[in-house]
Amino acid sequence: MKKIMIMVLLGLFSSMTAFALDGNEILKQVDRNLNPESFEMYRKLINIEPDGTKKEFVMFSLKKGKEKIASVFLSPASEKGRGTLRIGENMWLYIPNVGKPLRITSLQSVTGGVFNNSDIMRVDYNSEYNCEKIETTDKGYTLYLKARLKNVAYETLTMFIDSQKLLPYKIEAYAASGMLIKNLYFKEIKDFGNGIIRPSIIETDSPLYKGYKSYIVFANVKKRELPSEIFSLNYMHKIDGLRQ
Amino acid sequence: MRQPLVIFTILLTTMCFNQGVFSQTTEGGLTDLDLDFKIEEVEKKPYSVNADIEAKETIRFLDQDALLFKQKYLDKKQEDTIWQTDLDLTIEGQYQKDTIKLYGRFNGLFYYNDDEKWESEEKAEEAYISFQPSFSLAIDAGKKVHKWGKGYAFSPSAFFSRPKDLDDPDATLEGYYSLSADYIKSMEGVIKTIAITPVLMPVTRELNDEISSEDEVIWGGKFYFFAFDTDMDFMFLISDAMDNRFGMDFSKNLSPSLEIHGDAAWVQTYQQYIIDEYGNTSEQGSTAFSLLLGLRYLSSRDTTYIFEYYRNGQGYSAQEYENYLALIENGFDQYLNTSNQSLISKSKTYAAHYNQQAAMRNYLYLKISQKDPFDILYFVPAITVVYNMQDQSASITPQFTYTPFTNFAIDLKTGVLLGESKTEYGEKINTAKVVLSIKYYF
Repeated sequence: MKKIMIMVLLGLFSSMTAFALDGNEILKQVDRNLNPESFEMYRKLINIEPDGTKKEFVMFSLKKGKEKIASVFLSPASEKGRGTLRIGENMWLYIPNVGKPLRITSLQSVTGGVFNNSDIMRVDYNSEYNCEKIETTDKGYTLYLKARLKNVAYETLTMFIDSQKLLPYKIEAYAASGMLIKNLYFKEIKDFGNGIIRPSIIETDSPLYKGYKSYIVFANVKKRELPSEIFSLNYMHKIDGLRQ
Repeated sequence: MRQPLVIFTILLTTMCFNQGVFSQTTEGGLTDLDLDFKIEEVEKKPYSVNADIEAKETIRFLDQDALLFKQKYLDKKQEDTIWQTDLDLTIEGQYQKDTIKLYGRFNGLFYYNDDEKWESEEKAEEAYISFQPSFSLAIDAGKKVHKWGKGYAFSPSAFFSRPKDLDDPDATLEGYYSLSADYIKSMEGVIKTIAITPVLMPVTRELNDEISSEDEVIWGGKFYFFAFDTDMDFMFLISDAMDNRFGMDFSKNLSPSLEIHGDAAWVQTYQQYIIDEYGNTSEQGSTAFSLLLGLRYLSSRDTTYIFEYYRNGQGYSAQEYENYLALIENGFDQYLNTSNQSLISKSKTYAAHYNQQAAMRNYLYLKISQKDPFDILYFVPAITVVYNMQDQSASITPQFTYTPFTNFAIDLKTGVLLGESKTEYGEKINTAKVVLSIKYYF
């Protein structure tokens, strides 16, 4: 009986702590810990098929504020010069051959593999999702996030957060039907300098793509002040020129 | 087997075998991942060079009863097929130093067909210098492509560029010589971004002579607005010798899987050249209004639908087009009966207008493509239908694209033309064609 009483009290205490926490504030902090508000980075996207065949893409990206991100593909040669731009819910793809930006959607994938455009053109989680529920766990917090916007790739996210570092170590992404679309694992925390300490690898798998895995490897993540003008359709073919 | 086909086969085989050398396949999969690797591309060089080489074999199945076949060959060609082998090399390079960028894209085509034997073409598709004094401003001078408009297959408001190839709307185009600028301003509020793109295009006997018949400087511009999550452009072209043009376009995502777009263009006092079945010619002048409405939809099964309706204000009516075909028929009869080619020759003087793609007024375009069907990764089958609403003729093109390795693409396209006699697609030279191409990027 004593044991039951203790467990009930512990459970109550645990829920009260969680109730007192503001999930959206934690989410904002997670966003800032993942990257500065305005920054540049290089990423390598790796798609691995069940037989081990690997396809790699390297991108240079620039992000400003909560909802603007622009990228250009640096390799492979077949993709070089392709640019992507996201402003809020709007996404565009620039293909040098086509010579003009085309609108694309969050559910498509410019690289193929398990990552879709929403993963590749990730903006702040806080700008897209509202925390509806928070739970404390042994490792930290679990945030239950629901989309604020209609054009997002995932209706809900369950984000598992390391409370010491305030960084995610796993995200489960669900469709509106409640079906699990993919898992994102945040790995290999690395010090990029200037106070930027974040996971350097995101691994993903999906029950929809059994046997396939995709990775994003981060490099040279650094703060950079950027003018808003570079996040425009007319600038998409010039993003490569902003590399330093 | 023909010599060019042998060369094509050797190239295909060589490229496939070489793939083992440059592919990034790893036998061990995940265990070979070096998670601490450096990204070589981080080191920026002031220059970059890219290239692709494509080997292509085309078989055209000729329709000897078609009127455009008779117009071109009279009764002097007996073969049912034409084979063509293309070797196409494109080299793209750029050099950037501070605010100055030099850019060039050059194309060399070496081809063989039954009519012309071995021939070659070389051209600079783009070659310009760009001065970028700030993030907001860029000034470009040289040969450049200005692709305007939101249409995928048709672009009525692309006033400063060559028409797209309806068989391959994504193909690169050759630019025109121009002086242009790009001014971008971002702001808070309803309008998030504006961009202004003025263009000056000189026309002389040596420069841009395909555009206009007189020496002059054509000018125009485009104003871009991004507001209410919608892209909008307003554009114009002013010329002494050509017809002035005004246009607008828009594009918007209605949902994560649905995009809509549209183009509209007005050509003032457009002069249309008309020829009747007896070879009498006339000109009609009026404002030509063209309209394009389209959508792009991605289904939950990764099927992409691109659908467009195109009203070509500069196109011919069903009667006008039928008269042109009747002229060719009359001309062919005249040739057979008297060896006189005057009517056929007359029809040929108007061929540039009547024989161009989408020469009539109302078209529907539908492209359906399926990503990775049957769990075959990097395989995309597609089918494209272009339907002439006036004469109910159509072009149907199934296509299979496979990119099994990095930087390597195989494409098989088969086109079939359907239509009654005296219809646009029913009277084309080909009744069908098969195109197999392999492309390697490096």
